Amino acid sequence: MNDCLLELQQVSYRYPDGSLGLNDCSLAIRRGSRNVLIGANGAGKTTLFQHANGLLRPQTGVVRYAGAAVDYGRAGLRQLRSRVGLVFQNPDRQLFSASVAEDVSFGPLNLGLDTASVRRRVADALQAVGMGEFGGRPVHNLSFGQKKRVCIAGVLAMQPELLILDEPMAGLDHAMQQELLAVLDELHGRGITLLLATHDIDFAYRWAERIHLMAAGRCTATLTAGELGSHGAELAAVGLPLPEIITLQRALAGHGLLPAEARPRCAADLLAALNKTKESSCQFALI
Amino acid sequence: MLIEQAAYANRWRAISPAAKGLFAAAGFVAVFAAGRPLTAALVAGSLALLTVVGAGIPAARYLRVAAPALFFLALGSLSLAFSLDVSAGAPHWRLAPGGLDQLAETGSRSLGALAALLFLVLTTPLSDLIGLLRRLKTPELLLDIMVLCYRTLFVFSAAVHDTLTAQSARLGYATPRLALRSLGQLAANLTLQVWQRAAALHVAAQARNNDGPLRFLTPDFADSRRHCALAGLAGLALIGLAVSLR
Repeated sequence: MNDCLLELQQVSYRYPDGSLGLNDCSLAIRRGSRNVLIGANGAGKTTLFQHANGLLRPQTGVVRYAGAAVDYGRAGLRQLRSRVGLVFQNPDRQLFSASVAEDVSFGPLNLGLDTASVRRRVADALQAVGMGEFGGRPVHNLSFGQKKRVCIAGVLAMQPELLILDEPMAGLDHAMQQELLAVLDELHGRGITLLLATHDIDFAYRWAERIHLMAAGRCTATLTAGELGSHGAELAAVGLPLPEIITLQRALAGHGLLPAEARPRCAADLLAALNKTKESSCQFALI
Repeated sequence: MLIEQAAYANRWRAISPAAKGLFAAAGFVAVFAAGRPLTAALVAGSLALLTVVGAGIPAARYLRVAAPALFFLALGSLSLAFSLDVSAGAPHWRLAPGGLDQLAETGSRSLGALAALLFLVLTTPLSDLIGLLRRLKTPELLLDIMVLCYRTLFVFSAAVHDTLTAQSARLGYATPRLALRSLGQLAANLTLQVWQRAAALHVAAQARNNDGPLRFLTPDFADSRRHCALAGLAGLALIGLAVSLR
C-alpha cells in the first residue's frame, strides 16, 4: 500500500481572471495522518483543496492519488471524488436540499448505490457526527455548527479515505469547536486521513501531526508538530508567530520551572509538566 | 414561515404524505361533487376542523395562513356578485342577475378547495411533498427546480434580512430617497449573490460526484399502506357525504 495518499508535484494554476491560485506547489499527505494547511487569506489553500478533489485541473504539474496520476476523465474523477471528500467553508454553499437526511443522501446516490445501502450510510454518517436524531429536520432550522456537521456527514456518507475541511472552525463558538474536534478525532480513529485549513497556529500545533505552511500559492514547508519550535524563521516567512505554548514553555524553562526538553502541545500538557516538575523538586527537597 | 412551522410540528407529521395527499384530493373531489353551496361549505368546514382538531394546528395560526387567500376570495366573490351599471346616467354598482347564487356556489367551492389545500400543506413539509411528487414520476427537471428554489428561499431570506439590517444600521432607510437608493443596492447585491451562490452550489455538487440530475433519498414512512387505506376510506366518506346531501 502506498504510504503517500495525496501528492501535488509542482502544480501551478492561474484563474481565468488572471489571479494566482497555485504557483509551483508541491505537497504530500501521508495515509492516516492529521494534517493542517496554514497560511494567510489568498495563500491558495482553497485552490489546493479543489485540485485534491479534481474540481480544478493543474495547468502545469501533476496531482497523484495513491501513487497514480489523477485521471481527469469521467470515471477517473468519479473515483477520485469518492475517495477524497471536500467540506466547504460556508455550509449554506454546500447544502442544497431542504431536509438533513436528503442532503446527506446526495453523495452516496451519486455513487450509484442502491437505496438500502444509501439509507444505511446516511444513518451511520449522521450518527458519526452526532446528528442521528436530526435526519428529518429542515436544514434551515439548524444552527451554524449543526449545518457544518451535516456538511461533514454528507461527505462521510461517501466513505472517503481523505477528508478535507476548508476552515472548519470558522464561525464556530468554543463549545461547537470542541464538539467538532471530538468528531474529527473519532474519524481519525477510524483511519480516515484528515487535512484541515486554518489560520490558527496554536490550534495547528495542538491538533496536527504534520503542518504544511502556505504562502503565495506555494507550500513553503512541511513540518512535524514536534519540530515546529525550531522553525520560527519558516513560520515568520509566511507571517505566522510561534505557537504561544512554545513561547511560554521557553520562558518557563528559562526560569528553571520546566525542563528545556519539555514539548507541551497545549495548556493542559503545560500544566501537567509544571505539576510533574513541582512534584519531583518536592521529592528532591525531602531527600 | 407559518406554513413551514406547522408542517414540521403537527400531530400528523409522521403520516405518509401519500395518505395525506390522497385525502386532500378526495376533499377537492367532494367539494366539486357537492350539489349545493351549503354542502360544499360543510365539506370545507369538515376539512378545516380536521386540520385544526385532528392535526393539532392552532386555530389562530390556521386563520392567519388562510387570511390572504380569504381576502382574495372575498374580493373575487364581490366582483361576481356586483356589476358596474353604465346604462342609465352616472355609473353605479348593482347586484348582478343571479349574482348571489353564483357567489354562494363559487365562494363555497373555493373555500372547500382552499381547506383541502391547507390540510395538505399545513400537515406535510414541502420536502415530503417533493418526495411524493418524485414517487409519482414528476419530471426530474421540475423537481430539481423545486428543491433548489425551496432551499434558496431560506438562504436568500436570511441574506435579505442581513443586508437590510446592515443598511438600516447605517441610516440606509432614513429618508424615502435613501430608502429607494438602498433598495436598489439591495437588489443589485442580491443579484450578484444569486449568481455567486449558484456557481458555489454547482461546485459543491460536483465535489460530491454529481453529474446532472440532483438525486435525493425519498423519506420512508412506516405503515404507509395502512395510512393510505384509512385516508382512502375517509376520502370516500367525505365524497359520499357531499353526494348524499345534493
